[in-house]
This record gives sequence, structure tokens and C-alpha cells, in this order.
Amino acid sequence: MGKVAAKMKVMPQSPEIDLDDLQERLENALPEGAKISRVDREDVAFGLIALFPTVIIPDEAGGTETIEDAFSGVDGVESVGVDEVGRI
Amino acid sequence: MSDIPHQNLAVIGHVDHGKSTMVGRLLFETGSVPEHVIEQYREEAEEKGKGGFEFAYVMDNLAEERERGVTIDIAHQEFDTEEYNFTIVDCPGHRDFVKNMITGASQADNAVLVVAADDGVQPQTQEHVFLARTLGIDELIVAVNKMDLVDYDESKYKTVVEEVKQLLQQVRFNVDDAEFIPTSAFEGDNVSEDSENTPWYDGPSLLDALNNLPEPQPPTDAPLRLPIQDVYTISGIGTVPVGRVETGILNTGENVSFQPSDVSGEVKTVEMHHEEVPKAEPGDNVGFNVRGVGKDDIRRGDVCGPAEEPPTVAETFQAQVVVMQHPSVITAGYTPVFHAHTAQVACTIESIDKKIDPSSGEVAEENPDFIQSGDAAVVTVRPQKPLSIESSNEIPELGSFAIRDMGQTVAAGKVLSVNER
Ligand SMILES: Nc1nc2c(ncn2[C@@H]2O[C@H](COP(=O)(O)OP(=O)(O)OP(=O)(O)O)[C@@H](O)[C@H]2O)c(=O)[nH]1
Ligand SMILES: [Mg+2]
Repeated sequence: MGKVAAKMKVMPQSPEIDLDDLQERLENALPEGAKISRVDREDVAFGLIALFPTVIIPDEAGGTETIEDAFSGVDGVESVGVDEVGRI
Repeated sequence: MSDIPHQNLAVIGHVDHGKSTMVGRLLFETGSVPEHVIEQYREEAEEKGKGGFEFAYVMDNLAEERERGVTIDIAHQEFDTEEYNFTIVDCPGHRDFVKNMITGASQADNAVLVVAADDGVQPQTQEHVFLARTLGIDELIVAVNKMDLVDYDESKYKTVVEEVKQLLQQVRFNVDDAEFIPTSAFEGDNVSEDSENTPWYDGPSLLDALNNLPEPQPPTDAPLRLPIQDVYTISGIGTVPVGRVETGILNTGENVSFQPSDVSGEVKTVEMHHEEVPKAEPGDNVGFNVRGVGKDDIRRGDVCGPAEEPPTVAETFQAQVVVMQHPSVITAGYTPVFHAHTAQVACTIESIDKKIDPSSGEVAEENPDFIQSGDAAVVTVRPQKPLSIESSNEIPELGSFAIRDMGQTVAAGKVLSVNER
């Protein structure tokens, strides 16, 4: 089986959260076997900025649940969603 | 980019039937493989003294490029034809990704189903077809692939076409909406040009079939449905719900209702990309604020809609489901977690109403005692907490769900009808 790219959407708890620090915490929280290939940012509204880490995981790892759980537990994260998944 | 309309395309099919190769072939035939990847190949081929174009080489390097994060949209690939700008997603094989396909951002409009001629319909073919159906895919293009491995034999092709037709009937996919094409992704037969190897076939090539797809219509005519992702309190502004418009239009000055929280108010401002906008359309990610609605009045999983046509809240609903993996059997009373839009709610399968016969698509059994992996069924579901969900006949974007239990996606389905609270 191949690898899957999952574009995760991470919303910070407030517009005041430092996104560089948050990005680093997300990287440190990544479960074994997964890696972040890039992180994009998108202005949402009223100063809120969404982080979009694209995580590469093996297809057989089955799903994004472990990543979602890991990111959800990171300090400063309001919510974690999965925007897109696809085989690379 | 260009003015041509956009299509989201999913490539589905069983393991090893040639999905990735077909995606690579489509990119290659439409001139969408990055120039430097081809250039790199030429250089290496020259060094090693090999001539000619090695398609497999480009395939390998494409994946490598993408993994390094060179392109923005790693999960998707893009190519243009005369008619459309295509975004193509090579669907993951593992069942647990089904949840993501159902709740994800860019749902596919149409799909290419790849079935290897030498292997026929296999379990993942079946799962993916049902998934496509559940996701509301309108048209299916079926590539009967690896025709080179069966010597371009027409009778082998016909056998596989019949197998696929049976499968489509099983999930109630209109067979007339499917186009069948004998292909070899590897050799390039019938991908962009009619192949000499299949003189018995006079239908379109894969690219022609893609160009012939109807243009997707954004669901702007449907009532507004905006599932709430998060709710913030922003200083100087107040309560700001954030989410993506699924259907309809969010207008400032409009009275909106949040369900199932059951509060309403007037939309004051809508922002997208940090800019104030008068309205938001399907696909737009927005934050907005609503007069008189406080942070604790609404929550993630609520759906925002017009006050005069509020989102439906289900007392119970009837749904068609396919069981993808369950260690034992599912009986009435089973209460797993349903994932629908941004909501996650425990729901009880109150009754199993019908089991569908896989070979005929007909009702095989009324009120069966249980269903298990591989079964399709119609069930009645009772949410244990209020849930806003819509009939997929009326608003398909809000009518599908994944069922999860024990850390797995056990089933997926779509709502047939809602018994309103
Ligand atoms: N002979 C022949 N081989 C093919 C064709 N298409 C794909 N293959 C080969 O079949 C194997 C699987 O192809 P992939 O494109 O990786 O299949 P896939 O469906 O993406 O597989 P998974 O992603 O693992 O599910 C590879 O060795 C391909 O070279 C074809 O049309 N003819
Ligand atoms: Mg593949």
C-alpha cells in the first residue's frame, strides 16, 4: 500500500495564539510513522488564522484518528478537522 | 486561474487495479506532469544510455515530489482539458478514511472507477462504489483497465462490464449513468486516443468521457446550511461562529437559526479571508456574528440555516447503510457514534428494516435479526442527543454520515427520510 496525504485543519483557541509556536507543538505531538510535509495558513475571519498541516501517513495506518487525537491535545488548539485526504 | 469550469473527480477501485497509474497517465496525457520531472528523467536516461520515455519512472518521481511538499495541494492533483479544470483525488484504500471522504471539504462531483480486466469486481470495488453513491456522485466512468493483460479480449471486457453493472444495481446506481471504457493505463489505450488494440470498441476515450461530463452546479439554490465548526468570542466583535457554507447563501441582514441549539438572530457581519463580505457561497470558509447570540447558546455540530427554513432536527431518521467492517453482527439497539458534518452524536439503530440482496439490489429480507460486514440495509436510527441532519434526497450535502465504533469506521450511509422532532 502507498502513502496518504491528509490536509488537517487546526483552529487556534484565539487570534492571540502564536502560530509559529503552535506549529512547533503540533510537530512535536505527531504520532510515530506520520510526518508533516508542509504547513499552510489561511486567514479566516476577525483575526483568526487556520493552520493546515499536510500529514503523510501510510495507507495501512488506516484513518486520521490518531493524528486528530494527538493534535486535539495540543495546547492552544480549539479544534481539529480533516479537510482533504488522498493517496500521493 | 482559467475561466473553464471546475470538476472534482475521485478515482476509486480495488487495490492494485491501476488507480494511481491511471491518474499519472491522465496527468501525462494532458501535459500536466511538471516539466522538471520529465527533464530529470531525460537527464538520467541519457546518463544511463537508455532512450525512450519510461512512464513508470515519471510515476515514481511524481509521488516523491509530492511527498516532499513541493506542491500546495498534496492530497489532490490537477489537470486541464478543453472543457474542465479537474482536481483529482486518488482515494485511499483503507476503510477508515471513509469518514474523511464523507466529512471532508471538497466532495467529488463525479468518479472514475478502475476495475482490472484480469481480476474483475473485488471487495474494495464494491466498497468504493457504495462510497461514491453515498457521497452523491452523479456519474461514474468505469475504466476496465489492464486490457493489455487479457490481450484486449472483448469477451473478457464484457464479463467485467456485466459484473460491474450488477454491483451498480446493488447500490441502486443508475446503470445508464455509467460509461464503460476498455483501457490500459500502463500502455495508454483509450485514455486520450482511441486504441487500435480494441477495434470492437467504438465508445469514447477516457478523456472524451471526462470532457462529456455535465457541468457541476453549485448548490446555491438549496436553503442555507452551514455546519458550525467552532464558536469564538472575539473582543470588540462578540460571538463568532466559524464554518464552511455547504449549501445556499449566507447573507448579512438575514435572520438565521442554529439547530439543534434552537436559537436565532440577525447576521450582522460576515468575514472571509479577514475581509468583510456581503454574502458567502457554498465552499466558503467564514466567520460571522449574529445579533443576540452568545457563545454558550450555540456549539460545534449545530447547523445554521434561514430562520424561515431552519435546519431539520431528527427525532429519528431512516437511512441506507453499508456495513464495512464489524467484528460480529449488528442488531437493533446497537449505539455507535455517527459522524455527520461537524457533529458527532451517539445514535441507536432502533430497527433493521430491510436487508438488500447484493446480487439483485432487491429487498432480500424484511426486518432481519442482524446485519454484518458486507451487508447493505435500510435502518431506523434514533439520535441519543439532538442532531441536525437532512434527507439526502433534499440536501445531499447534509445527508450522509459515517458510523464509528471501537476506533474504526464500521459503516457509512445516507439519510432516506427524517422524522422531525
Ligand atoms: N499491464 C498493466 N499493468 C498495469 C496497468 N495499470 C496499472 N498496472 C500495474 O499494476 C500495478 C498496480 O498499479 P497502481 O496504479 O499502483 O494500482 P493502484 O490501484 O493505484 O494500487 P493501490 O494504490 O495499491 O491500491 C502496477 O505494477 C502497475 O504498473 C495496465 O493498464 N496494464
Ligand atoms: Mg495507488
